[in-house]
Amino acid sequence: MNKLQANLCLICVTLCWSTEVIIFSCIPDGILPFATTVITSGIASVILLACFFKRIRQEMARSGKKLLLRCLLLGVVKAAYDILFLYGLNYFDVSTGAFTFCITVVVLPVILLTMKRDVSKKTWASVALVLIGIICALGGTLVNAQFLGLLIMFIGCTVRAFFIVKLNEYAKEHDPMTLSTWISIISTVLAFAIWVVLQPSTFAAIPWSGTVIASFFIYAYFIVAFAQTLNIFAQKRATAAGATIIYSLEIVFSLIWSYVLPESLIDRMTPSPYHVIGALFIVAGSLIEIVEFKSRRVRIGIKE
Amino acid sequence: MESKNKRFQQGFHTAGIFLALVVVYLVLAVPFRVMTVIPGFTEIRPVQLLKPVYGVFFGIPGCFAFAVGNLIGDLLGDSLRWSSIAGFAANFAGPFVFWLFWSRVSKTPFALRTGGDLLKQLAATVASGAVEALLITPVVMLVYADVDAGLFAATVFLNGTVFPLLLGIPLMILMREEFGFRPCANRHAPL
Repeated sequence: MNKLQANLCLICVTLCWSTEVIIFSCIPDGILPFATTVITSGIASVILLACFFKRIRQEMARSGKKLLLRCLLLGVVKAAYDILFLYGLNYFDVSTGAFTFCITVVVLPVILLTMKRDVSKKTWASVALVLIGIICALGGTLVNAQFLGLLIMFIGCTVRAFFIVKLNEYAKEHDPMTLSTWISIISTVLAFAIWVVLQPSTFAAIPWSGTVIASFFIYAYFIVAFAQTLNIFAQKRATAAGATIIYSLEIVFSLIWSYVLPESLIDRMTPSPYHVIGALFIVAGSLIEIVEFKSRRVRIGIKE
Repeated sequence: MESKNKRFQQGFHTAGIFLALVVVYLVLAVPFRVMTVIPGFTEIRPVQLLKPVYGVFFGIPGCFAFAVGNLIGDLLGDSLRWSSIAGFAANFAGPFVFWLFWSRVSKTPFALRTGGDLLKQLAATVASGAVEALLITPVVMLVYADVDAGLFAATVFLNGTVFPLLLGIPLMILMREEFGFRPCANRHAPL
């Protein structure tokens, strides 16, 4: 996989994540997010294990305990930022809250600097554009937003940035398929522990229906098994900062879905001019990161 | 005798792949029956991401698997109608366009490594989506006059282009670059 291919894969991952809203609209509000994580990550784990058992076994024989500990760290960190986002988003309306996810783009290069890693000028330029986009989109709501909500989202984004940096590091060292499978397994176990505490009746509390089961499977295929695995494969070739800038496109895709898809699938909304301008800045920031400015001759010379 | 045995084994192998491809198609397609656009006729179909994959990596058996998978999907989803015959033809033609493009039209072998390769794939995808819409829409218009033909054609075309482009290309990159799948669509492959 070369850099262009890795970037395309990251755009696809972001696209899959942006469809979460559509899938969630098919899942009744009464179902806890932890229940969704348990079931969808569980299904994804089974699929990945069944399809790539031999490969996973080989990687486990090679890396063993070290890999398990790293996956445990990633699983715990992922659960932590998921919970923070879950509670942080209560302070914002849907469209504004989605923009706050992009704060990760700004936080991540700072984390990289504290870890004494290089961040290119191109990345800083992209980050600046994305930041302008976030400020435009949040506009007046940023001033009126409750401090606690912003603080929770900021901490969530910082934890997520740490997750991305570590995932990027581990993806270059371990088999992405094995990493993806173990992250799914650990997410299932952690979410189940929280689910049991919040809703002891667990599976019995879910209003099972064809639509609910289908939605769980769709989520498991595309958001967990496919997007998560593709993401780790792409991270092998991409930088953490570059990947995060591309992730910020999620809000752009979400805005497009809310405008384009029929009402039978999604709650339609008309984005405000501030949201559109903000989204355009985010697209510009991502394009700077994606487009290769080197000459054609130099590009051909790179070993792919 | 030996060559007969070899041909039998090859046939058995192809049948196994065909069955596996049909199962994968169904596993992906069936849950999406809940995302209906025109009840009984079209829904959001991300399973279309498999269209270029089946055509390029599995050739003619892949094209048949795609068509048969769609037919069984119609049967399971209680939407088997006269238009399913046209649906079968269109769902065979969709992946076949990719196979034909990369084996007969393109002067370079299948790859998705440069902007040029991606443009070729884009052209094949648009052609494939258009062929599917052209094959199914007139039949649906003829048999079911109450169906909005414009919306139907647009949904078929968008399903047949958006998913193969946005999800199919990354999946093919993964299969080719990371899992070492070899394209079946070679310029000198027999028809």
